[in-house]
Amino acid sequence: MTEPAAHSAHWAAQKERGSFTLMWLTAFGLRRLGRRPMTPVLYVVVFYFFVFGRRARRNVRQYQNYLAAWSGRPELRATLRSVFGQFMAFGDSLLDRLEVWRGTLPLRDVQLHDPSGMRARLLKSTHGGRGEILVGTHLGNLDVCRALADLGEQVPLNVLVHTSQVAHFNRLQSAAGDHQLRLLQVSEMDAALMLELSQRLDRGEWLAIAGDRVPLHDGRRVTVDFLGHPAPFPQGPWLLAGLLRCPVNLMFCLKIDGRYQIHLEPFMDAPAWDRSQREAIIRNWVQRYADRLAQKCLLAPRQWFNFHAYWQTLETSDPTGEADAHPRRVAP
Amino acid sequence: MNMETAVTGHALEQEIAQLIIDTLNLEHLSATDIPIDQPLFGDGLGLDSVDALELALALQKRYAIRIESDVKEARRHFATIASLAAFVEAQRAACAG
Repeated sequence: MTEPAAHSAHWAAQKERGSFTLMWLTAFGLRRLGRRPMTPVLYVVVFYFFVFGRRARRNVRQYQNYLAAWSGRPELRATLRSVFGQFMAFGDSLLDRLEVWRGTLPLRDVQLHDPSGMRARLLKSTHGGRGEILVGTHLGNLDVCRALADLGEQVPLNVLVHTSQVAHFNRLQSAAGDHQLRLLQVSEMDAALMLELSQRLDRGEWLAIAGDRVPLHDGRRVTVDFLGHPAPFPQGPWLLAGLLRCPVNLMFCLKIDGRYQIHLEPFMDAPAWDRSQREAIIRNWVQRYADRLAQKCLLAPRQWFNFHAYWQTLETSDPTGEADAHPRRVAP
Repeated sequence: MNMETAVTGHALEQEIAQLIIDTLNLEHLSATDIPIDQPLFGDGLGLDSVDALELALALQKRYAIRIESDVKEARRHFATIASLAAFVEAQRAACAG
């Protein structure tokens, strides 16, 4: 439950220690006891964060109201129940995540929608061929995409994770019994990292990276319309794609009617830019991504697991005067 | 520096200037238009950090060298065409053993 404990403004700057302990206990309990006895514990933990996470509640409410207005579906408007529902969905996704790490979530039950045969390309890419980029999202539960690798062989997939989360994740994962994921720690999409990633792609490795979260100290962002309001998105995945002329695919993993569905969609075959119009081209790609993301939000409206202020650049005019107008500019 | 290496160095500088032009689509320029000691970034040629990456990737490919990912060092090597040529020369020597 790291994210709902949003006491400070930016997700990367949040104090996660207390919530981490709770999560570790949940992981430990899950491993020892299994899911069923842990479920009531989870309810209590989620309720705790719901009650005390005032800012997270406000952010969820904002998201739900934006989604309702953007889609013209008033039934999606935020109520106390629907906001709590989103907190519970996050708790539920955590249980699923821990089960994936333990290897006890039956991955056979995961439906794969992969019309372009992407999974086959991924599994083949160690035997020659160039890597591709998978842009993921915090909508839904990306950990379940481990199902992609469920062939018993090492899949050449690198997952970029923000540094502040990695240490906790690694500890949690070993608590839950998983040691396989290849995580790359990232604090900033800088030149050094780009060069390293380009070499991995050339070796046929794939790269999974979130497309919807702006790292704290990363100046490369672009603001596009998302659910009817301007929101900052990272440029990193798209810069990489353009620089390396590397195909980009989108990856969504949503729980629909109690079952996970993985959607793999080709997004760009051969991204290229004209140098003089680079900014505009990247903005164009990101806007297309944001539009696609918004469509997917309608498939699983409560699985938007960004509990920080997503549209916070707008909040300079926020009448509540919260002090988080530009938290991303805060010096380290 | 004897005459021969000076000529080779000059040829390499021209080559790198051309590589910059090709990589970054600076079609309005020719290799001789870029003074070898003109700053490539900022006020000089006006390249930015994404251009630098594009250039680094092209150099790696062209000269089969490995550009280490130390950003401060890279900034120094990428300052001008002259410094880039010297860097490529040194890297090639190092890679050749």
